[in-house]
Amino acid sequence: MKKIYLYSTLLFIFLLIMWEMIVKVKKISPLILPKPTKIAENLFTLLQSGYFTPHIFTTLVEIISGFFVGSLIGIGLGLLVAQSNTLRLVLKPYIIATQAMPKVALAPLLILWFGYGYTPKILIVALISFFPLFESMITGLLVVDKDRLALFQLLKASKWQTLWRLQLPTAIPYLLSGMRVAVVLSVVGAVVSEFIGANKGLGALIIVAQGMMDTPLLFSAFILLTVIGILLYASICTIEHLLLRKYTTYRRKKS
Amino acid sequence: MQAPYIQLKEIGLTYNKDQRDTIRQFSLDIKKGEFISIVGKSGCGKTSLLQMVAGMQKPNSGLITIGGHEVKEPVDELSYVFQKPILLEWKTILENVLLPLHLKRKLTKKDTNKAKEMLDRVGLTDSIHKFPYECSGGMQSRVAIVRALLDKPQILLMDEPFSALDSFTRDQLHVQLNELIDTDKPTVLFVTHDLQEAFFLSDRIILLGGEPGRILQEYQVPFTRPRQKSILFDQSFHNFQQDMNERLQS
Repeated sequence: MKKIYLYSTLLFIFLLIMWEMIVKVKKISPLILPKPTKIAENLFTLLQSGYFTPHIFTTLVEIISGFFVGSLIGIGLGLLVAQSNTLRLVLKPYIIATQAMPKVALAPLLILWFGYGYTPKILIVALISFFPLFESMITGLLVVDKDRLALFQLLKASKWQTLWRLQLPTAIPYLLSGMRVAVVLSVVGAVVSEFIGANKGLGALIIVAQGMMDTPLLFSAFILLTVIGILLYASICTIEHLLLRKYTTYRRKKS
Repeated sequence: MQAPYIQLKEIGLTYNKDQRDTIRQFSLDIKKGEFISIVGKSGCGKTSLLQMVAGMQKPNSGLITIGGHEVKEPVDELSYVFQKPILLEWKTILENVLLPLHLKRKLTKKDTNKAKEMLDRVGLTDSIHKFPYECSGGMQSRVAIVRALLDKPQILLMDEPFSALDSFTRDQLHVQLNELIDTDKPTVLFVTHDLQEAFFLSDRIILLGGEPGRILQEYQVPFTRPRQKSILFDQSFHNFQQDMNERLQS
């Protein structure tokens, strides 16, 4: 495994060197494609000066709050809908509609209603992140093996006991897998909402950098967003690992 | 004459999808404490029969009674062992065994000790804190049996519980099952494909077959229970088995 990580790192270093060389040899304008060393210099200088701090903070607040709200709605709605076939059929078209509609198109309307503060951004992130959680919750609750349900029926378990002691534990791996997808989508949601109307946040910074033709800044914001996405994804993976490792072969599967 | 404890009177079962009778006019009287094996080919309605006795499925016609009361839903005094062990992977072996009691009431120290004692009897003392994925198929089957017997059920229904195991493990489990049920002597209805298993374990063997499923033959096993594995090498037991096999083939 260690060798794989080493190869992966070597590949990354090789690509950076190639990038640096091509820009140098072809004399590509830094406005079009700056050198990696220039981007790194820009990134570390601005990080050290604290320039990025409020932007990172704003985007993180939007991502985490939106993901939290989206999770609550997705899990809650999934729990509710999985209990009744009729409810599922009644609500399904509306839930699909929320996903079919482009969120970018919805953003100006939300800004009109809620202003330029956190609320419209959090709502967009929530709208984007709730669907994978909703779907994974329903799948997890309904995928329970029929023999297990028969066992609980024979043991005269109440509906609540069946949900709490059988369906929910079965749903946890599905839910965590939905969370992994949702958290990455939350980053996209936050950036898209900042594109539409914001003066703070990494998405807003990208728009500013584009206007000032400051390509190194644009790349720096892009790198920071990628790092945030990776860290959030990794934190869900860690939670997954901590929750599931004791009773599954998860650790072995992962490796 | 002892009144039947479980009674199946002219049971009929039809599945909606093909409207064919799975079981027709099936009647059987079972005495308290009796061990009955139902043997038959796949699809002859053995599992459906167990499910109807368990109250998980309703017959289209006829009547099933336990202790004189009609079975309408799963009854308290009954335990069921499925073909698969059906253990919850997020619970330890001990927690899986305690599940039925946990669903009924708050667990006491006595419950835990009883579960540990029964797990010890089937050689699982060292595995009580393991999770199911850490246990072999044979160990999981033992856990399922202990779980079913923990609350001292009056009736034990077993649906081919050993069918997925190798013959060595199966032999071990036959002996352990005999020992476990010898204490409380529940009435057992045991579904199997394996005739030797049925000979070894039961008081009576019901041969189910035909379409729709009906009793083709019924045999009383003339050897006292619980039996030891040595009986399999006994000439009279061997002759009895051979005689039954021949009748079955014909």
